[in-house]
Amino acid sequence: MNILELIIEHINYLGAAAVFVIGLYTVVNHTNFIKRIIGINIMGTGVFLFFIAIGNVVGGQPPIIDVNNPDVLFINPLPSTLILTGIVVVVSITVYSLSLVIRIYETYGTIDQEEIAKIQKRETDHD
Amino acid sequence: MIEQLPIINLLLLLTMALVIPLFKKRSINTTTTIGFIVLVVVLISSILILNHVHVNGSFVYRFGNYSNVFGIELLINSFSAFFTLFIIALVIPVYLYSTGDATEGVAEKEYGRYYILLFILLFALLGIVYTNDLFNTYVFMEILAITTCSIISIKRKKENYTSAFRYVMLNELGSLSYLFGVALLYMITGYTNIDLVSQSLQGVWQLYQANIITAIGFMVVGIGIKAAIFPFHIWLPDAHSTAPSSSSAILSAIVIKAYVLLLVKVMFRVFGFDILDSFSIPGIITVIGATGMIMGSVFAIAQKDIKRMLGYSSVAQVGYMVLGLGLMSGLGMKAAFFHIVSHGMMKAALFLSVGIIIFHKKVRKVEDFIGLAYQMPFTMVVFSIAALGLIGIPITSGFVSKLNLGLAIMDSGQWFFIAILILSGLLNAIYYLPIIINAFLKSRTETPQLMHLEKVPILMVVSCFFLGFAILAVGLFPNALLGLIEAAVQSFQ
Repeated sequence: MNILELIIEHINYLGAAAVFVIGLYTVVNHTNFIKRIIGINIMGTGVFLFFIAIGNVVGGQPPIIDVNNPDVLFINPLPSTLILTGIVVVVSITVYSLSLVIRIYETYGTIDQEEIAKIQKRETDHD
Repeated sequence: MIEQLPIINLLLLLTMALVIPLFKKRSINTTTTIGFIVLVVVLISSILILNHVHVNGSFVYRFGNYSNVFGIELLINSFSAFFTLFIIALVIPVYLYSTGDATEGVAEKEYGRYYILLFILLFALLGIVYTNDLFNTYVFMEILAITTCSIISIKRKKENYTSAFRYVMLNELGSLSYLFGVALLYMITGYTNIDLVSQSLQGVWQLYQANIITAIGFMVVGIGIKAAIFPFHIWLPDAHSTAPSSSSAILSAIVIKAYVLLLVKVMFRVFGFDILDSFSIPGIITVIGATGMIMGSVFAIAQKDIKRMLGYSSVAQVGYMVLGLGLMSGLGMKAAFFHIVSHGMMKAALFLSVGIIIFHKKVRKVEDFIGLAYQMPFTMVVFSIAALGLIGIPITSGFVSKLNLGLAIMDSGQWFFIAILILSGLLNAIYYLPIIINAFLKSRTETPQLMHLEKVPILMVVSCFFLGFAILAVGLFPNALLGLIEAAVQSFQ
């Protein structure tokens, strides 16, 4: 019972950590390059959700200052601003790695790690 | 005025990267000349900063003068001032080299792009060393990740794309793990500024042990992937061997060092000795370092491609630094810092001399080095100095760093690691000495023709020679450098 309460109380953190781990599994376990990039994005989302969850204040309002009513409890806006930067960074990494995948597809004709490894092995044997 | 110099350094490098496309129509010499002037200006200002720090003590630069609870701040103390100077001073010879052999395998009209990436890379390197904010460090790490990967994939060859892709994936795993660690620390403390985080941690760390151990794990593994610490090194040999020679020198000599420096910051400035010791992290780190020292060399022995061998040798050498840090003493840190500097010089010299050989002879297999000293004596002399330095022969800087590491190990009383140190030195000798012996003592039948010696651009040979000279100079007179390193170590206590 105690554990159940603990889980419910921290469900936001646990959810974020679960998303992170799912992303990690996708990156490590798939040989398809596009799926790996998707995995990186899922991992990133996990970290970002975790940051946002930290910023939450129970009963807090969105941090928009109302002049008439200044004594409102706000949630912490700092993690959200940090995460805006983080999202931009992950987008640029995604764009770069997708452009690499295009190049890889043009040169090898496949985007599967195992098939590329076979092709590379054949080429080194040929030398 | 001096207080403004760090940000001016960063802005100069960034602006240089942004103006390069404007010179697209001019010859590449315009770009390289202006870039060289920028690097020299940054070098001079780094010297001024270091001098200022030693006279007046450390100072902080706050962006927009926001308080450090919200804002970003740069901390300039004897540690960051010294290592930025080291980075810039080491980049200049590599830069001069790259003007001769801009990048093998890159079309001539694309040389400009290489320099754009190089200057953004330098901007990120300086940023990582200067910054005093954990999240800001993450942003600089990502800039560094994109530029290092692009500088590998700039060469339009098949294997460059796959090694760059593997590098970018592992880099991203590392960055996101690091960010997860930062998030866990933010959860406890509510700050991202390193000083504030460390202050709040010292008071409350017993209450949040689960958070802290997870944060340490994520951050050390994340940085470890990027610094190629032993079990996480798999991307390094491919990435460093396929990159253009001048980029390999920068990647191997400087970029992985920036992450080691970040590891130093995280271990000693964020967490501190008490926290790490209570989770017995030092023991784990020393074992990782020692395993890396042995395994990196063992892998290197098996390599046939000279640049892959140098890559695996870097893995072994990072092990030395990690071992020094894991000893958790001032002496160990001093040894690690000295090895960062001396390995930077030696590995840059090795990659540049190998680069000259590849440029001139178009060979990169170890067995092709037989009799090479008869054709390229200057290059092979520099190669031999640097290789002997990595083995740890006296009068090279490598000897001084191994001596310091040995002293630090004896001071800590963990005698077992002395054996590892000696064994690792012997393994280094196993793969470097045959190359030197083959090159100098086994003559090919053809007689050397003096007229055809080393037909390579003079700047390439000069920069290579300068590095070889620096290795010997530091090995003979290490005291000036040790003084600066001592001051850098003091800033952590």
